[in-house]
This record gives sequence, C-alpha cells and structure tokens, in this order.
Amino acid sequence: MFVHLHRVKKSYGTGETAAVVLKGVDLELGKGEVGVILGPSGSGKSTLLNLIGGIDHADSGTVTVGGSDVTGLNDNGLVEYRREHVGFIFQFYNLIPNLTVGENVEVVSHISKAPLPIDQVLEAVGMLDKKSRFPRELSGGEQQRVAIARAVVKNPQLLLCDEPTGALDFNTSRDILKLLQSINGDYGTTILMITHNTAISAMAHRVYKVRDGEIVETLANASILPAERMEW
Amino acid sequence: MGLGRKTRRTILERKAQYFGTAALIALSCLLYTLFNQLSFNTDAGTAAFVTDYAQEDASFVTAAPLSGISGLEARFGLLIEQGESFDDTVSEGRTLRVFAEMSKVNKYAVIKGRPLSAENDLLLDPAYAKTNGISIGDTITIRGSSFTVAGFMSLPHYIYPLKKESDLLNAPGSFGIAVIGKDKYKSFETESHFYSVKVMGNAGTNADAKLEELKKHLKQQGTVILKWMNTDENPRVTLSTSKMDSMKTIGSIMPVAILLLTCVLTAVVMQRMLARESVIIGTLYAQGYRRGEITRHYLCYPLFVALGGAVAGTVLGLAALRPMLDYMTGYFNIPIASVSLSITHLAVSLLLPLGLLLVSVYAAIRRKLVHTPIELLRGGGEQRKTGFLERRAKLDRLKFAAKFKIREQLRSVPRSLFLLLGVALATMLLLLGFTMKSSIDYMLKDSYESTYKYRYEYMFNSMRQGAPPNGGETFSAAPFASGPGSPINFTAYGVISDTHSISLNNRNGKPIAFDRVVITKPLAERLNVKPDDTIKMVSKLDSRLYSIKVDEVADSYVGELLFMPLESFNELLGFPAESYLGVWSQQPLNIPDHELLSSSTAAEMRQAFDSLTQPMQAMLGVISLLSFMIGLIVIYVVTSLIIEENKDNISLMKVLGYRKKEVYSLILNSSAVTVVLGFLLGVPLLVFSLKAMYRSLADSAGIVMPVKMSVVYVGVGFVIIYLIFELSKAMSKKKIAAIPMAEALKSRAE
Repeated sequence: MFVHLHRVKKSYGTGETAAVVLKGVDLELGKGEVGVILGPSGSGKSTLLNLIGGIDHADSGTVTVGGSDVTGLNDNGLVEYRREHVGFIFQFYNLIPNLTVGENVEVVSHISKAPLPIDQVLEAVGMLDKKSRFPRELSGGEQQRVAIARAVVKNPQLLLCDEPTGALDFNTSRDILKLLQSINGDYGTTILMITHNTAISAMAHRVYKVRDGEIVETLANASILPAERMEW
Repeated sequence: MGLGRKTRRTILERKAQYFGTAALIALSCLLYTLFNQLSFNTDAGTAAFVTDYAQEDASFVTAAPLSGISGLEARFGLLIEQGESFDDTVSEGRTLRVFAEMSKVNKYAVIKGRPLSAENDLLLDPAYAKTNGISIGDTITIRGSSFTVAGFMSLPHYIYPLKKESDLLNAPGSFGIAVIGKDKYKSFETESHFYSVKVMGNAGTNADAKLEELKKHLKQQGTVILKWMNTDENPRVTLSTSKMDSMKTIGSIMPVAILLLTCVLTAVVMQRMLARESVIIGTLYAQGYRRGEITRHYLCYPLFVALGGAVAGTVLGLAALRPMLDYMTGYFNIPIASVSLSITHLAVSLLLPLGLLLVSVYAAIRRKLVHTPIELLRGGGEQRKTGFLERRAKLDRLKFAAKFKIREQLRSVPRSLFLLLGVALATMLLLLGFTMKSSIDYMLKDSYESTYKYRYEYMFNSMRQGAPPNGGETFSAAPFASGPGSPINFTAYGVISDTHSISLNNRNGKPIAFDRVVITKPLAERLNVKPDDTIKMVSKLDSRLYSIKVDEVADSYVGELLFMPLESFNELLGFPAESYLGVWSQQPLNIPDHELLSSSTAAEMRQAFDSLTQPMQAMLGVISLLSFMIGLIVIYVVTSLIIEENKDNISLMKVLGYRKKEVYSLILNSSAVTVVLGFLLGVPLLVFSLKAMYRSLADSAGIVMPVKMSVVYVGVGFVIIYLIFELSKAMSKKKIAAIPMAEALKSRAE
C-alpha cells in the first residue's frame, strides 16, 4: 500500500489534562487512489492528516508513505519529506496575500527539485489568464484553484486536502472536485481528502469513517462517480 | 471598562514592539532633557559673567601706557582697567598665563575653593588643574615664588582658555591660566599689559558706538593701538558660545527627529494591531461598547508607552546632567554653583511624546472606527486594497526570493519608510563622529602642518624695528573686518617675501610666492572673491578703510587669513619701514619674557589636537553607541513587525517544506535592501547637514571647516550598520522558530 498507518496513537497534553486524539488507527490507501476521511468535528481527522503529511509526530505506531517510514524521520527529514513528496490543500486556501497568482505557485516550485512548468499547471487549473492578479482580487473558487496549482506544481506523490470545498458553494465545490479528480487521473497523484460532506465519498476509492479517534469503518468503492455527476 | 488586562497582556505579548518604542522615546527624552537643561545652566552661567563678573566689552593693547583712565571712563561712560599678564614656562611644553587680579572688569569667578586672601594665594583654571593633577591646597612655583592653590576660577574673557587667538582648541595639558593678587604680581616686574573696557549701564547696541568713540579719541590723542578686540570677536568667548550653540542645535533637533521617528513607529505598530483586532473591535462594537470607550482603550497603549518612555528618559537625562555639567565646565570655565532646572524643558520632555503619540494613534483609531460593526466582524478593516506600488511593480524577470522580499517591503510603505528613516538617522549619527574627526584631522594635521613650517612663534608687546633676533624671521599681524560693521573678521599677516615659515599652495597644488596678496580659501568663500578682485577692509586698530587687490587664493583651511609682503603691510598701515610685531623661528630664541606678549610652539598645536582627540573619542563612542541603539531598536522592531505579519506565511512555508534557513532568508532578509538604501540616504543627508552646521560655525565663530568624509569611515559605518542588521536578525530567529505549523492549518480567509 502506498499509504499505510499501523496502530497510530496521538494525544495532546499530559497527566489529567491529556486528550487522546487518535487511539491506534490503521489505514491503507493504494498508489493513485483517492481516499476520503469522513467524520464529525473533533473526531481526529485533521490530526490524522497532519501525521500523514509529516506536520506532526505520532506518539506510537507507524506511518509509511511510498515505502518510507515517516514516523522514523527527524525534523529535518520531515522537512525534506514534505518538500518533495506531499502537496497540501487547505479549506481557506492559505495563499500569500501580497504575492500574485503566479508568485503563489512559485512559492512551491522554487524549492522543488523537478517542478512542473508554472504556466502549464495554471492552465490546467484554469487560472493562467489571472496569473498577475492578487488573491484578494479572486473569488473563493479561484483562490482554491490557485491553491491546487501550488500543491500540484511539485508533482507530489501524495496530495492532502483539508476540507477543500468547505468554504465554497455547490457549483464551485463541484468544479474543484472535478479538478482534483482530473489531477488524480492525469498525474496519477494519490489523494487523501478530509470532508464533512458524505456526498464526496462517491468519488473516492476508499472511504474512512472516523469517530472519537478511531476509524470505525473503511469502505472500498468499486464504482467511482465523476465529480460533475455528484449532487448534494 | 474590563479591557485593562487586555492592554497589559498585549504589551507583554509583543514586548519587542512596545518596549522598543518606549526605548526610543526614552532615548529622545534623555537627549532632549540633557542637552536643553545643560544649555539652560550654561546660559545662566554665561549671563552671570556679564552681570556679576563684569565681562569686558573690548580689550586693547597700546604701544605706551595709557594715562588719564578715570577721565576717559567719565567721558565715555566706561569702566577701563589695566590688566596684566605674563606667560610662565612651568616646564618644557607647559605654559601658565598668570594674570593680576582685576577689580573693576573681568573679575574672577571662584568655581571651587576660596577667593584670593593671602599674598601667595593663586587661583587656577580647573581644566589645567585637572589635567596636570593639581589639587586645591597644592603648592606651585612661578618664577621662583611659591604659591598655594586657593581654588579654581574662571575669567570672563577666558571662558575657553586658548593660548593664541588663532587657536581653535584649548590644550589644558600644555596651557592654563592663573590669577594672583595685584600686589604679588607687581613683584614680578613685567611690562606686558592690556586694557579691558566695559560699557557702563545697559550697553546694548550703543556699546559698539561708544567703543568706536573711544578708539577714535585715543587715535586723536596720538595713542598707538597695537591690538584691539571686541568681546564678540574674542575666540576665547565666542568659541565657547558657538560650541554651546551647536550643542543647543543638537539638543533641539536630534531628540525631535528621534521622537518623530518614534511617532511613525508607534502609528505603524498601532495600525498593525488594529488591523489584527478588527474582529475584536467589531465584537466590542456589537456588544454595545461606544466609540469613545473603544478609542480610550486603544489610547492606553501609546499612553503607557509614551509615559513610560518619557518618564524614564527624563529621569535619566536629569541624572546625567550634573556629571555632564562638570565635564563641560572642565572645558568652558563657566561658574555654575548649583544645578537649576528649566520647568519648560521638563514639561516639554514629559508631555511632547505623549501629545505626539496620542494624536498620531488617535487618528489611526478613528480611521478604523469609521467601519460599521458588521464590516469589522467580517475582518473589514484587514481587507485592504492592493497598493499602487504593489500593483505597478514589474518583477517577472526576478528570482522568486527577490520578488518575495520586494513585495514584503511594498506591503507596508509606512513600515518601510520608518525603517529607511531609522537607518538613515542611525547612519548619520554614526558617521557624524567619524566625519567630524576626518574634518578636524584634515584641518589640523594636513592643513596646519603643511602651512606652518616654523617651530616657535614670539609676539612682542610693542612694535620692533631693526634686525630680528638671530635665526628669527620677522612678521606682523593685524585684525581686520571686511567692511564697516561687517561680521566677517580676519587677520592680515605681513610676511617676508622669501618666508620659510609659511607655505601655501594654490588650487593646483603649486606653491604660492609671498610677493603678492594671498587669501585663504575660507576667507575667499566668505567674501566671495576670486584672484584679481579688490576687497575692502577695515582695520580693527584704527578703523580706517583700505582697498587691496587679491592676487591669489590659497587652497588651505587654516583659517580666514590674508598674507601680504611685510613692506606692503607696514606701508599700508603706516607703520615704520622694517618694523614688525613677531618673530618665527626654527629654534628657541632667547627673548626676555617682559618683551613678549605671547610665545608658542608648533608642538602645542599637536598637543591641542591630541587633547581634543581624547574627549572626541569619548564623544565618538557615545554617539556611536546611540546610533547603534537606534539602529538596533528600529531594525529589531521592524523585523518583529514583519514576523508578526508573516506568522501565517511562515507557518505555511514550514508546512510546504521550506528549510529553516530558507524561511530565515526570505523573511529576515526582506529588509536588507531598505537597510542599504537607508544607509545610502544617510550619507548625503549627513553631508548636507554638516555643511549647514559648518556654515553656521563659520558665521558664529569664524571657523571654516571642510566636510571631509573618508571612504574608509563610510565603509566602516556600512559594516557597523549591516552588523546591527545581522544582530537583529539573529535575535529574531527564535521567534520564527517558535511559530508552529498549526498556524497555517487554522482557518484564514483572504
């Protein structure tokens, strides 16, 4: 499996104030697949994503991505891991406001070993004509497209999306999901997505339902629905 | 209002910004208080010379003793007193000018100790005593007589004890003044005398007229006046005044400049805080807080910062006042018994920062509060338009790092402007000391040493004729003004045509012959004349007007001087042929003391220079420290602001896989260009300011100095400024390291 989590535990705080967020999670996702993590607020979804993305350390258990043990990496190792292998997409885009669209994508391309051409990626997300605009001059959907371009430009093996449509309306959300699906198809990028929206699970190869720090159900989806046909 | 705790916590959370601002205010208040209270006290001391110690309005030397002094006093409404002095060579290279006590004019002021009472009592100038390790009660010997040092004193016509009037610097290590009782003085049988004149009553503008009348009368009586000097031309008085005036200028400009800088900083800090707190302000608004209440809350920040800084700075300034006054009186012998305080300056120091900061912050808050609560709740205040410069900047061809840094500087123009001005000010202060040293180095070392080739100078107390003492070279000198009532005064020298004692070059570096009329560059600049122009000059001795054609201008900064052949000099002034007033020589001459008005050696100039260098180095150190502190605070505060504003971006970069060094480089180096620009701006600003300052020095004290800025010093200045920048970066790295990646994962909407 491309992504493999084995008995991963994570808690915050110590002693009486300790909060156990993940209670021994097991998860598997194949290369080139799309995975969706579903769960209510506070269930541990984001923590799970942070551990896979190398943003946080697990207390115990192992996280393996592309055959590399992420839990065994030190801080510098995690930097290199995030730099080369993982792309992030956030709910609120997290673009740098005083950089143009093109420059926001360049934020990642200039530290990557073999980035894709910026114009090519911007064209792929439909933002090439707005390359010189500043984020505040764009709609939410457009900003998320830029964020996707920024994540994709390094051609990562794994794309981690934290509620990528959480701040968008239905039509824009569907456009974004379509874009992610096409990236998955075109580049073979493995995608792991957090969402509240159960309808999105229709486009995933695997669906993980998280509750109270545990994966309570894993579903394999044999009939992937194209994003443009999804409704909610 | 329950927001008091919020103020305290916010200040403590952003210590660098608030304490940095307070430190800048403290610094400006310290300087303001120190310089202005110093001026207040020295002004009072100087005024005391005129009122309490009967400072002369003029002094003169005649060829023969004056008779009928009381008649002259009554006729012209003057006080005239004969003064007497002689120079005693205490040891090789050390001279003490001993004055007889005067009772009507130029009365001595006791600074420490007691007045003269016993016959062998002596009073010394404090700088000489301090430099030579002499204490009250010590015994010193003068011409074989033992004297007890009864105390330290100052003389109203020797506030800045220069050996020669043409000197620029006093050298307490080699020259000092002393006063002894009149009766004791008589026992030394010297013939050197001068007359001190004070115009009676409220002299004001008619003092000059009365002095002119006296001069005219003496001339009509056939009295030969060898030397005449009004007090406003006496460098021993005016140099101290001009130096204190320049201190006043520094005292009024520098702290206000720092204060204005602080206002910009505080306004920037406050605007940033208000931008961050849009939602909080909106919430307070929505909860029913009135605009006045919110305004009052946010005014607490500048109130604490301004009050804290002003009180700390003022107190420190007052604490430094006494030691500084003691230091000053060591150079300018001003009678200051006790320290008095100017309430006006005290009030300004405490209230000006408060007023300026409250106004600037009030304006920023009111701008924020024009938004409706709903706009603020939506982060309305934070959503700003893209700036004109940001939009216009064409950066496509640049590398990403360069683009990022430029955009960061364009993001907040006030912040970048503050950094620019702060670095420019720090640069100016840093290079001020260096440049002044370069100028004085050039003027004294290069100019004086290359011009004056003699080793000994002897001035006679009466006109001489015939062959000079063996090995001596004759010359004469007389004071002139450039026209009746003109403030431009200069000395004209009559020198022999083949002189080996003076050497001057023209603009092309070629030696000038002394068979013609030569003026120095500073004088040519002040009179605005060039070779072959004719100048008008009025003798200070007999008030006659002369016209003389200038043949050459010497490229020398030794002073405002005119040189002409000695024969022409005598002929022009109607002196007997082959007469002279002084002798220059390469070796010491055996001339009896009683024939001399003064004697000096070229080595004394070197000593004077050395004696200046020491306090100058101390001053250089203080100014450098000041500039270091200003530079560090400004750069550190701006760096903190940049980090604060980029918290989310830094966090994002970490998430995206940026290495520590890459984050440091992008964020911390973004100000590098502004720092360099600030330095480059500071250099011409300093040259411009120094030129203006030197011009005013030329007007007030007749000293013309070139602005010399050594490339080496500029290089050293740049290295220091850049090191400050590097230090500030090093101090800020911790803050960047402490920003968690989780910041990027929190919700953030553009």
